[in-house]
Amino acid sequence: MNDLSSIEAPLPKGVNDFLPETADQITYIASRIHRVFQLWGFRRIITPLLEYEDVLALAMGEELRSKTFRFEDRQSGRLLAIPPDITPQVARIVATRMKGLPLPHRIYYNGKVLRQTESASGKSREIFQSGVELFGLDSPEADAEMVAMAVEVLQELGFEGFKIDLGQVDFYRGILEEADLSANGARRLREAIAKKEVSALSAILEGERIPDRVKEEIALLPRLFGGPEVLTAAAKVQSSDRAKRALDNLRQVISILEIHGLSQHLTIDLGEIRGLDYHSGITFEGFVPGVGEAVCSGGRYDELTANYGFPCPATGFAFNIMTLLGALSQRPEVQASRSRDFLIFNQKEDRREALEVAAQLRKLGYTCARDIIKRDLDSSLAYARTMNIRTILVIGAAECAEDEAYLVRVSDRAGRAIKKELLLEKGLPNLEPEGENHG
Amino acid sequence: MSDFITIAIPKGRILHDSVALFKKIGIDCEELLSDTRKLVFENAEQKMRYMIVRATDVPTYVEYGCADLGIVGKDTLMEQEKDLYEPLDLKFGYCRLMVAEPAGLSAQDDPAAWNHIRIATKYPHVTEKYFASKGVQVELIKLYGSIELAPLVGLSERIVDLVSTGETLKQNGLVEVETIAEITCRLIVNRASLKTKHERISEIISGLEKHI
Repeated sequence: MNDLSSIEAPLPKGVNDFLPETADQITYIASRIHRVFQLWGFRRIITPLLEYEDVLALAMGEELRSKTFRFEDRQSGRLLAIPPDITPQVARIVATRMKGLPLPHRIYYNGKVLRQTESASGKSREIFQSGVELFGLDSPEADAEMVAMAVEVLQELGFEGFKIDLGQVDFYRGILEEADLSANGARRLREAIAKKEVSALSAILEGERIPDRVKEEIALLPRLFGGPEVLTAAAKVQSSDRAKRALDNLRQVISILEIHGLSQHLTIDLGEIRGLDYHSGITFEGFVPGVGEAVCSGGRYDELTANYGFPCPATGFAFNIMTLLGALSQRPEVQASRSRDFLIFNQKEDRREALEVAAQLRKLGYTCARDIIKRDLDSSLAYARTMNIRTILVIGAAECAEDEAYLVRVSDRAGRAIKKELLLEKGLPNLEPEGENHG
Repeated sequence: MSDFITIAIPKGRILHDSVALFKKIGIDCEELLSDTRKLVFENAEQKMRYMIVRATDVPTYVEYGCADLGIVGKDTLMEQEKDLYEPLDLKFGYCRLMVAEPAGLSAQDDPAAWNHIRIATKYPHVTEKYFASKGVQVELIKLYGSIELAPLVGLSERIVDLVSTGETLKQNGLVEVETIAEITCRLIVNRASLKTKHERISEIISGLEKHI
């Protein structure tokens, strides 16, 4: 006989099993996010886990394509892809299945995507995303709506001192358009701008034959980050009309965000060129203190649905749930999301009363499980402690009268008798039903 | 403690140069030079914290946001290619990343005719990228120190390594063949830190810039 405990069942690198402790916290965070999305009038759609690679690729740039998991479909012989991003899928759905419906569409989604990562990086290949897409509006108010929702979610989750960093991809694209660069020069320039590497940037510019005025404007890019003063500094850029329009657009979005009362949460970075290939206007990322990477990101992508024959302006963004979990997992309310209210421990021969009391508690909104195993109270308490159950309710305990039940607080074993009638009518005054968090 | 600014600095000469540079903008971290085994130093008054780490670990601490800023050689950054900001060339710690080979081999060697060569190095990623761009296939041997030894004992024909004065190469009978890159120390910044603490960090960047 094999010793079962010695069977190895490894997982591929970069994916994880999430046990109830973590899964509860993920569910809690996602449900708080979805609540905000719903309050803004967004409706959920569910996208498939597989797509034809060539169909999905219509809405992905080189970078996303290179990170996509692909394999052959045994049924059709065609190449299949596991989506590395949900936005291209939503764009496809809107452009094909929803094109007859009136605009705008307010859509949210929640799901996992897979992306190939560097083998040694230790990073997860599976990304939990909750995001929104807003189709059919090219107005700055739509861009501002995305930012305002992101702020509201971060506030709802209890963050302070967070920043939403705004960019406008047309600004740098406009400037670079004026410089007629070689492919290699453009690639090196983009790298230097992305890293804000001022010294490398000036070395590259020295070697390129482009007008001095454009050189000066490109050299500005790594320094155009910070507060509202960035808008003034960026106004020096005059050679590109496209860049000037981009700056105007950014100003409009910021002035709408002032109406929302969100100015204190904004920073601006016009040298941020990290957005995904499909972005076409305002982009943004959310940063919270103490977390090294963005917790959310997104932006405008007006050209994407046209790839599926339905040109339609659009904007959207998504939260990275695991990054949020890393920042939130020690918070009391997130910790509490792992606990359950009652474990019913029956000392009577007959199970009828235990089952009836449990049913009644669930009606009141308490989470309530039956300890069906026959064991002593100590073992049951040890089990409850490990499983994060807060209270054991003993039916038929020696300590109480026939119309009473005995409550034991698992944390310190403090016990007291309570009238069943009272408990089942009003619940426990110091124990709020948990209900919706686990919906 | 998120209103602190944390800087990761490697041991050795870079540490001395860094402390001297920060002093010029009124950031006092002389304590780092004291003979102690402490790894983290705090200046509560200036709301600064300093971590002493291995040079190759500096980008990692900064990427994950454990440190807001870091000081590290461009060689390490090129090798690791992390997603970081590199706003300042601090100009100190100058050296070159070189291809070197034994003087005897060099006498009749033609780099233009290289193909499928064997190279020992601490920088396999940079080396592979450099030779790939030249269309040369390489067999890489990753070493962690004393790279100059490899050609002497026949582990590889050539090496890629950092050279500052060239004295070590000379004493081991090696000569420089090609320069891959000129290396100096850089100030690196975590992306989230630059956004959430942009006022303090911008002040440090523009302060340092005036002194380099």
